This record gives sequence, structure tokens and C-alpha cells, in this order.
Amino acid sequence: MKNTTILIIIAVIIISAGAFVFVNGNAKENLDGGTGDNINEITLSMRNYNYYPNTITVKKGDTVRIHLDKSITGCYRSFTIRDFGIAKNLRTPEDYVEFVPDRKGTFTFACSMGMGRGRLIVN
Amino acid sequence: MSLRLFVKEMNGNRVEGELIRTIFYSLLVSFGLLALLYFFRLRYIENFMPKYGLLIFLSALSYAILLPSIRQVRAYKEFACMSGMMIGMTVGMISGFLAGFYVGAANGMFYGSLFGMIVGMAFGIYNGLCCGIMGFMEGITAGFMGGLMGAMSSVMMINDHLKAASVIMFMISSIILIGLNYMIYKETKESERQIKEDYIFTIFATLLLTSITSWMIIFGPRGGIFA
Repeated sequence: MKNTTILIIIAVIIISAGAFVFVNGNAKENLDGGTGDNINEITLSMRNYNYYPNTITVKKGDTVRIHLDKSITGCYRSFTIRDFGIAKNLRTPEDYVEFVPDRKGTFTFACSMGMGRGRLIVN
Repeated sequence: MSLRLFVKEMNGNRVEGELIRTIFYSLLVSFGLLALLYFFRLRYIENFMPKYGLLIFLSALSYAILLPSIRQVRAYKEFACMSGMMIGMTVGMISGFLAGFYVGAANGMFYGSLFGMIVGMAFGIYNGLCCGIMGFMEGITAGFMGGLMGAMSSVMMINDHLKAASVIMFMISSIILIGLNYMIYKETKESERQIKEDYIFTIFATLLLTSITSWMIIFGPRGGIFA
């Protein structure tokens, strides 16, 4: 087989596999959402170079609103909860992230670099 | 001009004529293995494709683009110190960076760095050995650094276009490795080939690397924000 033919086959393989990954990779999770009527307001501060409290317990279906107080500085203000698609830079203590946890379990919240982190328990 | 000669030689009888075939066999083996695993096991894992699909796909492509350089170095066996250092550094750095990047994006910085360093140092040492202690040192140092940097970069980009970054990193690494193939060709075009081999090494290395990397990404230990 000529190298030109092999190159064409390689391109076909990569494009087909890439298309398969791309099409299936964007599938959305089928989540069972809540109503979000109750609002759970939580303010995190800084203690021992980490978020405090570093374990938060909330109820599935309640709206959760998380603020960071002024003791939290630098890149720790870039707050993320990967499992719920939360990633936001909370510049001031008045800024917050808001979401409705739609599944039970234990999830990690962290700064964008993962230096400060804690657990979000959804019951 | 030697670039034109290099392109011409990719259809020739020297080892450069086998580079494209090496990529081809490596892709066939890794995608064949992944297709089998996907059909029998992986598709039953929840959110497999959105979470791990792209990382595993790119890791298979990365090994396919790395293995031709190894074949080329094995074919000529001995190089000048400067060339050997460049070979050890490039292969060690790129293999460590890419492996660390993909595993870091799924398993966290510690396990990503560890895996990237092991892969990078192994590749770096193996390729750098073609020219003695200098290539060895360059390979081991670059593998160590590449592994750490790859995992660190992916963890830092978790919330910031990680998928796009993975594709860009892979494309840049591919260009660097093609550059390395050209450099080796330029350095050795007057030399005789020392070892002529079939594709067993390529197939074996691809199977080993793809299966270990995929296992690590899907089932491997998690640290940091992934714990």
C-alpha cells in the first residue's frame, strides 16, 4: 500500500473517531431537577488556608446561594463546583453563585486551581 | 532543499518511509482496542464519553505521533551528543507533558504528575540513551518537568476551555514531533540504518500505553478536586 493511501486512511480514521467522540461527548445528563423554592444562603470564610466551613450540607431541590466573605482573597475567590457546572469569580462579598442541586451525593467545591476545597453534601 | 527531500524520503526505503506506517499501525491497534473495550465495557459507564472520551481519544493520537520518533531513533541507534540531547529532551518533555495533561484532567494534579513523570522519564531515558549520559540526563530531566507541567496545566484549566486546550496542546506537540523527525533525518541522512525491524514493537508499545492510560483515566485513583 502506498503512503499516500495510508495517509488518507489515517485521516478517515481520525475524522471518524473524532466525530464519534464529539457527537457523544456533548450528551447532556438526564437530571431530575427540584423546584428551588427554599433558598439556602451560605457564606464561606477563610481558615487554615482553606474555605470554612469546608463541609456544607444542603437538601436536594433547594436553591443554594454561596457567598465568600472578605477574609477570602486572591484566587480563592474564583469559586467552582465542577459537578454542577459552577465556575465564577466572586469579586466582592455581595457576589454569589446560585444553583439547585438536582441529585444526591457528595461533591467537591474548590477554587479554580484546587488549592482550597471542601465538600458539598446533598441529602 | 532538505525539507523537500525529507517529504520525498517519506515515500522512500529508509526508516523515514516507515513513519506514516507506524502512525497507521499504532492508530489501528489503539482504536481497535478502544472500540472493543467501549463495546463490551466502557459504554455502560455513566457519562463515559462526556467525561473521558476526548482525553482517551487524544491520548491514543498522541502515542501514535510519538512512536515514529522512537522508531526513527532505534533505526539509527547512535547520534552525536547534541542531537541525542535534543532527542531525549523533546521526546521526554512531550510524552511527559501529554500523558500528564490527559491524566491530570481526570485524576488530579498528583496522579497526573506522577503518571506524566513516569511516562516522560521512561521515554526520555529510552530515547536519550542513543548518545550516552548526556542524552540520558536530558531525557530524565525533561520527562520529570514535562509530567509535572502537563498535569498542572490541565488542572488549572479545568474550568477554562479544557477541551479546546487539550486539542491545541496536542496539535502543537504534533508539530514539534514532526520537527524532531525532520531533525533526525537531517542529522542522519549520510548514515546507514543500523536496525531494521518490523512493527511488533509499535504494536506492543501502543497496546501497553493505551491500555494503561485508559485504565488510569477511567478507573485510576483520584486526588485533589476529583477525590
